[in-house]
Amino acid sequence: MDNRVKIVERKEIPEGLKVICGLPDVGLVGTIAASHLISKLGLAEIAYVRSDLLPPIVMLEKGLPHSPVRMFGDENLIVLSSEIAIPSSSVYSVIESTIDWIGNKKAEIVFTLGGLPTPNRHEIEKPKIFGAASDETLLKTLDEKGIQIIQRGFLVGPQALILSYCAERNIPAIALLAESFYNYPDPQASSVVIQALNRIIDIEIDVSELIEKGEEVRLAMRDMMRRTQAELARMKKSHEYDIPGYYIK
Amino acid sequence: MREHIEEFEEIADEMFERFMERPSWDVSTHSLEPLCNVSVSSDRVIVTADLPKVDPKSIRVNGIADDLIEITAKMRVKVNFEDLGITHRKGEFSCFSCRVPLPVPVDTSKARARFRRGILEIMLPRKRGYEIKVE
Repeated sequence: MDNRVKIVERKEIPEGLKVICGLPDVGLVGTIAASHLISKLGLAEIAYVRSDLLPPIVMLEKGLPHSPVRMFGDENLIVLSSEIAIPSSSVYSVIESTIDWIGNKKAEIVFTLGGLPTPNRHEIEKPKIFGAASDETLLKTLDEKGIQIIQRGFLVGPQALILSYCAERNIPAIALLAESFYNYPDPQASSVVIQALNRIIDIEIDVSELIEKGEEVRLAMRDMMRRTQAELARMKKSHEYDIPGYYIK
Repeated sequence: MREHIEEFEEIADEMFERFMERPSWDVSTHSLEPLCNVSVSSDRVIVTADLPKVDPKSIRVNGIADDLIEITAKMRVKVNFEDLGITHRKGEFSCFSCRVPLPVPVDTSKARARFRRGILEIMLPRKRGYEIKVE
């Protein structure tokens, strides 16, 4: 654990919870999904990330300062969300320390929600959902739930690290990725990942409001998308479009 | 060579940062700057823009030069800062407006545009150069 990153708990957090990560990435799919979950489940802030590796930014809410990288939760689950893109220079430390903390909390399972950038996204009526996981058992679960597994390809950014650090530490983890715009907020893709999450864990989150208010979400998320796009470029996110080298079998 | 690439990346980063260090809105013109994307292929340049809440009939695309276009669109409803959860600023917005620099010259007279699912897509054929005969 990098001692420059600290998870500060605002209240006692029990062990064994489910953790859902929705960090800024392509189409802000995870961020929008996390925000919707927090709102629909009425989750309260329970912890935050403090680090001098993050930019000197606070989120003001009703005049009070909050860390832009926070965890919201109740007695069943924790949602990790961020108001800012995690800087490419500190993404390793921030994610590794967060996953170490999640490991210490003996999380039952970790989900990372995000988008799969798709060049012709505006031609697609309903985005498809894809998945990847930290172990074979969870891949079987994805298959049983009708979620197509990404057999081969690159994953770049926070969700790539979440999945690989969880796999290394034997923390069960699933990445749910919907076809999405690269650099436009994509609430429809967020609704698709939430619907997939509904199928895997025992929650029923209504996504109709997310679709109805899609234009408002796109308008409100413009600036976060611009900033995120800059970090995605630094992380070489376009690697996800690349076709991996061929291995002769 | 690597030093040159790093130097170029630093300059590109600096330019991007400079572009970011200004607001995406202008209270004096009641306009918001849309999110845009430019991609270049061998024969054309494709510009897209995310235009939520706009009246499709009001979208205008003008060629300013062979490497610069202007996009404007009126919104169906006015949006103010309070609608976006901001109470310490005043102002309302009724349109999107931006100028998009293109990396290569295009023939704007042959441009085509369409608006689908809130995304404006403009296809601009690249200006033709001269052909080199392959022996």
